[in-house]
Amino acid sequence: MSFLTTLALAVALFVVAPYFAHRLRRRRAEEQPFAPARLVDPAPPEVRRRAKLEDRALFAVRVVAIVLLAVLGATPLVRCSRLSLQRQGGASFAMALVVDDSMSMSADAQGAPRFERARQAARELLASSREGDAVAVVLAGSPARVALAATTDLSAVRAAIDSMSPSHRATDLDGALVLATSLVSSLPQVDRRVVVLSDLADGHPDGPPLGEGGAVPVWVALPELRAERVDCAVVQADRRGLRVRVSVSCGPGQSALGRDVVVEDAKRKVLGRAAVGPGRAVEVTVLLPSADAAPVDARLSGADAIAADDEAPVVTEAGRGTIAVVVDSADEAVATGGAPVVEQALASLKLDLDVRPIPAFPDRVDDLAGDLGILLDDPSGLTPEQRHAMSSFFDGRGVVMLALGPRAAHAPLGATLEPVLTHAVAWRETTVSGADPQSASGLLAESAASVGDLGASHRAGLAPEDAAAFEPLLRWADGATLVGRRAVGRGEAWVVGLPFSVEASDLALRPGFLALLEAWTRTVRDRAVSKRSVVGVAWTFPGPRDVSATGPTGAVPVSRDGGVPRVVPPVLGLYRIVVDGKVEERVAAPDVRELDLRPRPIAGRAAGHGVGERRAAVDVSGYVSLLLLAVFAFELMLRVAAGRRAAPTGWGAL
Amino acid sequence: MIRRGIDWGEIAPLRLRAREVADGVYAGAHRSARRGAGVEFGGYREYVAGDDLRWLDRRSLLRHDRLVVRQFETETDRTLNLVLDASASMGFRGSDAPGAKFAFASLVGAALARIAVAGGDPVGLAYLAGEALAEPVGCRGGVEQFERIVASLEGVLPGGDARTDPTLLDRAFQFTVRSAKRGSIVVVLSDLLDLPEGAAHRIASLAQPGRVLVVIQTLDPSEAEFPFTGTVRLRALEGGGVVETNAEVARDRYLDALDRLTESFRRAITTRRGRFIKARTDEPAVRVVREVVKAIR
Repeated sequence: MSFLTTLALAVALFVVAPYFAHRLRRRRAEEQPFAPARLVDPAPPEVRRRAKLEDRALFAVRVVAIVLLAVLGATPLVRCSRLSLQRQGGASFAMALVVDDSMSMSADAQGAPRFERARQAARELLASSREGDAVAVVLAGSPARVALAATTDLSAVRAAIDSMSPSHRATDLDGALVLATSLVSSLPQVDRRVVVLSDLADGHPDGPPLGEGGAVPVWVALPELRAERVDCAVVQADRRGLRVRVSVSCGPGQSALGRDVVVEDAKRKVLGRAAVGPGRAVEVTVLLPSADAAPVDARLSGADAIAADDEAPVVTEAGRGTIAVVVDSADEAVATGGAPVVEQALASLKLDLDVRPIPAFPDRVDDLAGDLGILLDDPSGLTPEQRHAMSSFFDGRGVVMLALGPRAAHAPLGATLEPVLTHAVAWRETTVSGADPQSASGLLAESAASVGDLGASHRAGLAPEDAAAFEPLLRWADGATLVGRRAVGRGEAWVVGLPFSVEASDLALRPGFLALLEAWTRTVRDRAVSKRSVVGVAWTFPGPRDVSATGPTGAVPVSRDGGVPRVVPPVLGLYRIVVDGKVEERVAAPDVRELDLRPRPIAGRAAGHGVGERRAAVDVSGYVSLLLLAVFAFELMLRVAAGRRAAPTGWGAL
Repeated sequence: MIRRGIDWGEIAPLRLRAREVADGVYAGAHRSARRGAGVEFGGYREYVAGDDLRWLDRRSLLRHDRLVVRQFETETDRTLNLVLDASASMGFRGSDAPGAKFAFASLVGAALARIAVAGGDPVGLAYLAGEALAEPVGCRGGVEQFERIVASLEGVLPGGDARTDPTLLDRAFQFTVRSAKRGSIVVVLSDLLDLPEGAAHRIASLAQPGRVLVVIQTLDPSEAEFPFTGTVRLRALEGGGVVETNAEVARDRYLDALDRLTESFRRAITTRRGRFIKARTDEPAVRVVREVVKAIR
């Protein structure tokens, strides 16, 4: 037993002794029978309270005084360690602080969240810097971001550190190191370093050691944060009718066996419960008592390292999206001997979207529920009801492809192709046999050569106003638009200058046709709204102008990337997004990688030798003495205020 | 044991005498205050509608032109109905008491039964609560009845919670009311401490015209004086409540509460022309019995 331990035990005895003295003095009276006890009043409250308050206050004061005396006596032994940076010859240095703000930093370390410990360490390191030092701050939550570019304005750094907030993102340590290195490598200071304040749990415990082979020395300053913990999360909770399907995932080698999935309403009333089985990833079904559409949450009972990921909002299951195809099946079936060629082509792409043939474009947009895209092969115009339904479909982020042919050019009176085309389409003979491969862009470029000769005798011609509105993706050899696209409302419209019938051209028989369909379906998928996505991954809103978002922590800033609004959900939970006046709800779910709290290894040179250290003894005796004086003064005030007792003469006074 | 506790020498000269004439089955030595058909003339009174015309005094009618009826006194016996509180609180015995409250009440009750039996009056006994063998003893006379009552008292153990079970009070009183006819004496021995709400009026209702009610409140000395000091934790014998208090601070309030409780019973009983007697277990039983006999004379 060391001297310090003995000393600590002695102090503990000193602290405990008055307590026991107090308890002995206040020992309970022995119980005795007394028939008319109900006629006896308990001691008047004011008498008991006064005695209790006075005793406890004095007792607390005495205990504090003893503790302070003990600390004062032990001051030579007390060392308040803190992080500090070593200077080479007293020169200024350039430092990049990599602060991990990922979800794993929400776990506790030594009684406080790891993120707060990291923030405190950043402040300690900043305290050891001085004028001329350049400091940059990089956040390691995925994607890695620059919180503050390198600056010698230390107050700005301090403000940046104070303004950091924890998030539930995944971890991108490699990206953060690259960013940090690039921020300090070009600075004039000779002494450059990157300080990592992270638990190193980035989901790659078998990855290369951190800090290996970098141009700038890396110091992992908080090795105590690297603690393996058990963490499980609700990664998905979907509802269909009375059933709520909840997916629970845990870290490697861990399971949530013994815990329950509880479905609760907004008032925390339990609506259903199911036990979680063994396994790292388990799906649990909970039955609800009613099909009430009120919002509910799925919660994992019990506790683990990170509480925030134990709960998730339940969203209504939408199922797989579909593509509606409007083709004159009579003509096409004769030509192919089976399903229309375009349907067969879509099937061959093995999309994660269902293909739904419909006989005609519906009159009501409700009939397009679940459809993400609509492909119309040579439609003979649209009635007013169909046009209204199509406009609504575009407003719902729908994507439409029109293959123009003779029927489109000879639409009956009153039937037009608005809102895609504002003018009539012409179907006329052409001497141009195919497309210009050089004009192809995007996905169409690879197989554009296959559409160089389409064998078409006729082609659809757009009015100059319509042609100008479309962005050409592929042109005819004479420069006219063969494939073009334009934004309509919040959706997108594609036009193809040929129908997909093999009688009209060879387009449907060429590899370029598959490339065309793949490019279009990718656009369809991109525009489809997924209600749940991984936290930290941006939601983009191409087309709309006015977007605002509110998340679990309040308003979320909306940034613009190339004019397209984007929202990055920083924490888990339900987000309410208003897009051009329409309200959407989206859910940010945890990244399964972040449940792996195993730390990544660190290179030997990242231990901090020559870069930084944990040192500095702090003499707190002055503060302790002042505190002791204040405590004695307070005790005197208590005694004077009591006005009844003389100065204490021993433990009995307590 | 109970016989040894009764000081018959002081009580034996006293004879239970009736102030009211009871409508009993057996003829006795007590003069009944009830007037009506009988053997000894008792005076005249004005005729009121409904009076038996056989007793109309024709001479007065003819001489004074007034309707008067003749009255007679009758001799009858008086039944003594004892009601003993055998609830748990009656088992309490303080450090300065010669015995439990129930023991003292039994002594007084047995002494009264002895006196009644010696005078030829029937005696009955009913219990309020009680744990074992607390069956009532029917009204009878004779020396054997005294033995039966003493045996019953010796066999009963105090128990039960009269405060939470008001039916205990009703059961005891139903038996007493059935057997206590006009002219009978009802003596209730209880500490009156843990009785249910309205007990005072229910006990007082035993005092009907022609029936004498005597209530003896039996208290332990510690209950009457509250002799505790310092912090005490007191556990009620009925209801199970525990009170922690400072004795010096709580004494006056307790004594006030006890006085109020006693006064409420006294008022309810004396309003109905009943008699209320306070007794402590450390005082001679002879004094209490003598007071009872005085009260019903």
